[in-house]
Amino acid sequence: MTLLAGIGFTTPWLLLGLLTLPLLWFLLRAVPPAARVQLFPGVTLLQGLVDEESQPDRTPWWLLLLRMALIAAAIIGFAGPVLNPNAAETGRGPLVLVLDASWAGAPHWPRLQQQIETDLQTARRAERPVAILSLTRPDALRFQSADSWQRQIPGLRPQPWQPSSDDITRAHVALTAVEDGFDTLWYSDGLASAAHDRLLSLLQQRGTVEIVQPPAPVVALHPAQIKDGVINLTAQRSLAPLPQSYSVHAMGQDPNGSLRALATADFEFAAGETQAEIRLSMPSELRGRVQWYALQGVRSAGAISLSDDSLRRREVALISPQSGNEGLALLSPLHYLRTAMTDSADLLEGALADLLPATPDVVVLADVAQLPETQEAALIDWVKQGGLLLRFAGPRMAASDTARAKEHPLMPVRLRIGGRSIGGAMSWGAPKTLAPFTDSSPFFGLEIPDDVQVTSQVVAQPDPTLAERVIAELADGTPLVTRKPLGEGQVILFHVTANAEWSSLPLSGLFVEMLERLAISSGASQPDASELEGTTWSPVQVLDGFGRLTDAARLPGVAGTDLLSQDLSEDLQPGLYISEGRALARNVVATDQSLTPASWPATVAQRGFSLVREQQLGGYFLALTLPLLVADILATLALSGLLRLSRGASFTLVLLGAFALTDSAQAQSTATPADLAAELTLAYVETGDAQLDRLSHAGLRGLSMTLSFRTSVEPSPPASVDLDHDELAFYPLLYWPISPNQPQPSAAAYDKLNAYLRTGGMILFDTRDADLARTGARSPAARRLQQLARPLDIPPLEPVPQDHVLTRTFYLLQDFPGRQKGAPVWVEAAPQDAEQVEGLPFRNLNDGVSPVVIGGNDWASAWAVNDFGAPMFPVGRGFAGERQRELANRFGVNLVMHVLTGNYKSDQVHVPALLDRLGQ
Amino acid sequence: MTPQAPLGPLALRHQAEVEASALPPLLVQAQQLAGSIMLGEHGRRRSGSGDDFWQYRPLQHGDSRRMIDHRMSAKGDQQFVREREWQISQTVHVWSDLGASMRFSSRPALPQKIDRAQVLTLAAAILMIRAGERVGLTGGLLPPRRGNIQVLRLAELLSRTDEHDYAPPEHRALVPHARAVFISDFLGPFDELQIALGKAADRGVRGVLLQVMDPSEVEFEFSGRTRFQSIQGGVRHETLKASGLRERYLDRLAERRAFMQALCRDASWRMGLHRTDDSSQSALMWLFRSLQRTDA
Repeated sequence: MTLLAGIGFTTPWLLLGLLTLPLLWFLLRAVPPAARVQLFPGVTLLQGLVDEESQPDRTPWWLLLLRMALIAAAIIGFAGPVLNPNAAETGRGPLVLVLDASWAGAPHWPRLQQQIETDLQTARRAERPVAILSLTRPDALRFQSADSWQRQIPGLRPQPWQPSSDDITRAHVALTAVEDGFDTLWYSDGLASAAHDRLLSLLQQRGTVEIVQPPAPVVALHPAQIKDGVINLTAQRSLAPLPQSYSVHAMGQDPNGSLRALATADFEFAAGETQAEIRLSMPSELRGRVQWYALQGVRSAGAISLSDDSLRRREVALISPQSGNEGLALLSPLHYLRTAMTDSADLLEGALADLLPATPDVVVLADVAQLPETQEAALIDWVKQGGLLLRFAGPRMAASDTARAKEHPLMPVRLRIGGRSIGGAMSWGAPKTLAPFTDSSPFFGLEIPDDVQVTSQVVAQPDPTLAERVIAELADGTPLVTRKPLGEGQVILFHVTANAEWSSLPLSGLFVEMLERLAISSGASQPDASELEGTTWSPVQVLDGFGRLTDAARLPGVAGTDLLSQDLSEDLQPGLYISEGRALARNVVATDQSLTPASWPATVAQRGFSLVREQQLGGYFLALTLPLLVADILATLALSGLLRLSRGASFTLVLLGAFALTDSAQAQSTATPADLAAELTLAYVETGDAQLDRLSHAGLRGLSMTLSFRTSVEPSPPASVDLDHDELAFYPLLYWPISPNQPQPSAAAYDKLNAYLRTGGMILFDTRDADLARTGARSPAARRLQQLARPLDIPPLEPVPQDHVLTRTFYLLQDFPGRQKGAPVWVEAAPQDAEQVEGLPFRNLNDGVSPVVIGGNDWASAWAVNDFGAPMFPVGRGFAGERQRELANRFGVNLVMHVLTGNYKSDQVHVPALLDRLGQ
Repeated sequence: MTPQAPLGPLALRHQAEVEASALPPLLVQAQQLAGSIMLGEHGRRRSGSGDDFWQYRPLQHGDSRRMIDHRMSAKGDQQFVREREWQISQTVHVWSDLGASMRFSSRPALPQKIDRAQVLTLAAAILMIRAGERVGLTGGLLPPRRGNIQVLRLAELLSRTDEHDYAPPEHRALVPHARAVFISDFLGPFDELQIALGKAADRGVRGVLLQVMDPSEVEFEFSGRTRFQSIQGGVRHETLKASGLRERYLDRLAERRAFMQALCRDASWRMGLHRTDDSSQSALMWLFRSLQRTDA
């Protein structure tokens, strides 16, 4: 490397080429530019004339200078100039780059990649073979040329774990496998690691070791904990030089389903403090939505704390049979459930019909045998969508014939009549105890207290499926708890009561633990290892080193005990795990983990990241040669007289300019959403039939004129609407004439139309066939209307009743002729329970605008006017026809008024009451 | 059919149509141009056979009685004879340069010199044929004749082109004391022109030279390193600085025109210059006036 005022060259000998420049000077001066051939009959007069000046056959000095600059730029460009070259003394021989590559290095990973790039550049110039060893993913060392590694730098990724002892062992093996000596560059993440002790001595034996320190301290977020209903968050940093502040976001889905920060708080690290704590108080509804907490501005898996069931409170709906008499509290079937779950779940009580819309996580039916049909259907739907239905037996269930003859969808098993009592005064035998749980049961591993006894129960009918549905049984083998899946949810039946009448189970701690295992109530703290024994957890989402959640469906499951205690590694990645409907998060930083800064022995050389990047200048020089080359060509052409901007060329330029102008003019003429929203515009649906579209346009133009003349509604010229591309929200009314060969709009267009109808838009369908369909003959337009309208959310319809508000929004009308007349017009049906208002010819109707009006009277033809405002089509005959056109216009006015004012006119029913209130 | 065999009637007809298809534009253009000029009189200023009245003279001996103009004689006792002006038709030879040097225009918007020369030649011929003169080409290719059919023949022969760079003026088969029209750029060898004019003067033929030139030939607006060459490439001249030649070229052009002027004076011809960017009508007017001169 040759250095010249901060600029080095990778191949300096190429600069010798600059010596050829003087040679070029002589060569170029000797060869003048080529002559231009000119046809000229007068050449006979030129013969014998000698050029007076002998100088111009030389290339002019400025062209020479241009060409020499061109050649010089090319030579310098190929010589590879480098600005701020890394002038550090480099050794010889192989070089190993060791990367910690853990989550702690992720925040400054791009800078680390730059630093590696710079160091590889240096190694490349020294032609050293390089191997890269990533401690979190150690592989055998491959010595390659530095530039092949340079291409692989973007593929280097930090992992969301720190080197485990396995990783370190494998790295050790990989390093010892190298026979020759080598130098080492170790890119540290800034955290202490077991690898430092175990590998450093080995590396120092092989050659020199240099440590590259990270630029900033490591910050991490501990798992969130809930204490007294408040979220406690702790952040930690590895070094504590200065006060620092970080904001933390609680991320989750808002009720609209979009991911956003549900709450924000700030950590303040005081100078010298490595820990900061905040308390985040959120409503439990909001808390349930939080998916993770994240430190802002720190791109690292350590800055993410995933939230799991331990932070969530489930909503449990408790339903008991409606009893007229007020029973004693301790006899209430819900008393023990309430007590067991009040700490760990949000309880909802009330009627099932009221509670289901709140989509609770669990519905508990205590001794409810029969449900009303509609509620039962709704409940089945809810379970199929993933709900958990927990039923308890009781006297009512035993007495009813629910699930007697055949299996009920909401019962896991069929029941025998009456159930049985054991150990009572009138029966043989002693009360039964519980049998130990089998390992297929979710209760496996729970300890059964001796004093749990069952005296009465409902008994399951033997069925082929019974055995697999039993998850707990009595000592004599009769089922105590049965379960069946239903859709994505499940139904669980305790064959005893929820109170202490039939068994002492609700009195024991086992009851609470069983509810927890069923994920009905979740524990307020992290489960301990004994609880997770025997369970297998499958990852749903895992974090990568940068703290991004990725789908983990392809990763294998993890044993429950490992999930809690094992170090994170490739086999156990941090993320969200589920098992049996429960969710558990494994975070990168454990609750009690502290961040220890790395400490290196004083014998090891250390440096930080270099501040100035090397910059290759060769490209700029080579890029400079191109404009120089073009300039040279132009200059040569100009010298030989070939470069004459013809009139044609200048005309083309002018034309191009004009095109640019017209383009911008066109851009201005298209209506912006703001323009559309500023003016009321009537719109029609493009049918693809040009003649029909013109008719619609003329019709709406006529209607707009009528409206402007007669009312304060002054629409701008009508617009056509392409259902696939145009936004509909700007148009209050869409006129949709039906032509039999109209193409079906796309699914996206139907979504748009449905949204339009839901948000108060109105479509006027016009089959234009005088409603021949009514008489039983099916016109093609009517058939097409059915096909077109099938995907639309259209409510039940009825012919316009006498008291419909459409008959009196502006004019008083009783029929709605267009060019045809007499056909009924269909609007949304009035509710069944509308009552006649006393003293007025109206019913008391709810508010709302009919989303569709359907008819076949060909209104557009009656409304249509030409450019001069004269009607385009004859209607009827003579004055009667003009009257009919007038009525058609009045219908149009009424329709637009109906769209714009809603049911304002039907508020007339309240006039007597208003007058009364005014005291008149 | 061997190549020497005469063309069949069909092939001949086809070829004739192809040839004829080139004529109408030239003809129409020439007719239009000729139609813009009113024909004047060119009587012989003496009595003779003609249509126009010349004078009444008293009846002389030897006059046939049929020659008496009774309307005039009835006015008095003396008998008069009505004499008419002597009107004869002239013979006019036309020559238009069809050489390659004429196929040149410096800008696409300008017509080629040959186009302008052909149109002017034919238009002058049409005018003269309308005036009753006999018009033909020099060189015996088309002897002078009268009548509209001669216009077609002229048009056909004028549509040909010559492959030589500079065609020498054709001076053979000139009818003595006829008139002649030579239209060319006269950039070819000067002695050829000298010979032609000398021959013509020997036979008492008088006429006009019309030099048709492209604006670039008159102005010489060239610059830079240029290799000039004639249309067929026969003559070349290379220069390193074309703009340096301008003065000397213009001098030489003026010199040649002065020579031509002197030549014409000696042979009592007239000489004109026409640039292709001027209107052809002015050139035709000049031609017409020059031919009309009685002293020419």
